[in-house]
Amino acid sequence: MTHGTKETPPPHRPWAETKALGFVRGLGKFSAFSLDAFLAMLRPPFAGREFLEQCWFIIRVSMMPTLLLVIPFVVLATFTFNVLLVEFGAADLSGTGTALAAVNQIGPFVTVLVVAGSGAAAMCADLGARTIRDELDALRVMGVDPMRALVAPRVLAATLVALMLSSLVTLMGLTGGFLFAVFFQHVTPGAFAASLTLITGVSDVLVSMVKATSFGLIAGLIGCYQGTHVGGGPAAVGNAVNETVVYSFTLLFIVNAVLTAVGFEVTK
Amino acid sequence: MSMSVILQQRLPRVARGWNTLGATWRQLGEQTRFYGKTIGSLVDVFMHYKGELLRQVAAMSLGTGSLAVIGGTVAVVAFLTMSTSGAVASQGFNQLSQVGVEALNGFAAAFVNTRLVTPATGAVAFAATIGAGATAQLGAMRISEEIDALEVMGIRSIAYLASTRVAAALIVVVPLYCVALLLGYFAAQSITTWFYGQSGGVYQHYFNTFFIPADALRSFVVTVAEVTVIMLVHTYYGYNASGGPAGVGEAVGRATRTSLIAAVFVILFVTLALYGQTGNFNFAG
Repeated sequence: MTHGTKETPPPHRPWAETKALGFVRGLGKFSAFSLDAFLAMLRPPFAGREFLEQCWFIIRVSMMPTLLLVIPFVVLATFTFNVLLVEFGAADLSGTGTALAAVNQIGPFVTVLVVAGSGAAAMCADLGARTIRDELDALRVMGVDPMRALVAPRVLAATLVALMLSSLVTLMGLTGGFLFAVFFQHVTPGAFAASLTLITGVSDVLVSMVKATSFGLIAGLIGCYQGTHVGGGPAAVGNAVNETVVYSFTLLFIVNAVLTAVGFEVTK
Repeated sequence: MSMSVILQQRLPRVARGWNTLGATWRQLGEQTRFYGKTIGSLVDVFMHYKGELLRQVAAMSLGTGSLAVIGGTVAVVAFLTMSTSGAVASQGFNQLSQVGVEALNGFAAAFVNTRLVTPATGAVAFAATIGAGATAQLGAMRISEEIDALEVMGIRSIAYLASTRVAAALIVVVPLYCVALLLGYFAAQSITTWFYGQSGGVYQHYFNTFFIPADALRSFVVTVAEVTVIMLVHTYYGYNASGGPAGVGEAVGRATRTSLIAAVFVILFVTLALYGQTGNFNFAG
């Protein structure tokens, strides 16, 4: 530059393509992708077989993590609550703490971890592998719409499986909390069971299910978007899965915080 | 005609199951050896690979690629802890106000955030950002045969790639966890005082009365333990990725699943070990 070499002017770009706006552009692309996916769900030839296969795929990937994650979490929460309750002299109420933790917070929290960390990551790796082998383009050439054939059934499967997983998480959590409280912290089993429903009711269970369904939907959309938008190169699929995990955790945690607050206003 | 051939011909299913079991067992051994070697090579990192260590520290704290666009690891960790602490605070406020003691929300935030919520959320955030990032990088290096090239050049690849990342994560995690903890408290306080309109003095009083500084230090111990396990798992899956570009994606997914489970068990056992069965807590002072 300093030695009089001729500077080539940068190629002219419209301001909307500047690098700083990359995040906004990604957001816009994702919104367009989501709308396309919703439209593809409504258009008639529904890929039912693919839907069932994807449900089974997600269940297979996320079953073990669910069971292995929920028990330590609920045991931790029960332990922390019971430390308090024993200090107050109210250990009989430990069922209340467990129900509160399992239904209201840990249920959705673990569902987020499993759906985003296992389901969406595996889905993105699978779709990403197809994208870099140009299988999606091949489908388009054959006149098959990948949105309808691949994306719509995956998103629906993630939604359904998230709902089912959250029920499983809650049940496993309550059982684990019961066993820990009764056998390790010497709470009377009858008192535990009686105090389960003290503050946690049907409305909390419903809110928890609504949360889980929306988590599944969002995680499915993010996984499919990242999977179908993989660039070339060997590092690309790995990075795409990494981004899927980060984005879906971030988004789902925010959604969880918002839905918690909204849930209280609705069920009041 | 040995026993194994007869077994394979007569009872093929049993033989196959037996082989799978053997393969799993062998893989567990391989994993353990890798972890031992990685931890053992930490000395090499500080002796020979200080430059690479510094580079990893910089890359991990700020994030690379498209993660850097949204603010890097710091932003993700901050975001996650703020939203969980916010959710817990609004849950706590509503449940406590059902029994008429919503004033104690400051106490709940001081107690639950320090002991449970921030270490758990931190584990998730670290696994998703620096952990999964390490798997993606190492996996890409493995399948483009860069790791073999390092070996040929006489560089100890486990020390240079895996141990530097574990050491860098342990260095990065201390300030990151400070940020996470502080922002968690901040989120709980702002939700309670601004959103639900509790008076700031009430919140501060109960928070300061029941905040145990030793608990914060203990939660650092929990976090360091969990990050060590997370990084070991993630580097193992990245270092041993196979199957082309698609294999890297699968390795990242599998590593995230495994490390989340391992981290939660580490949190559980370290917490139980640190606080003991009684919980080490005195309400009445």
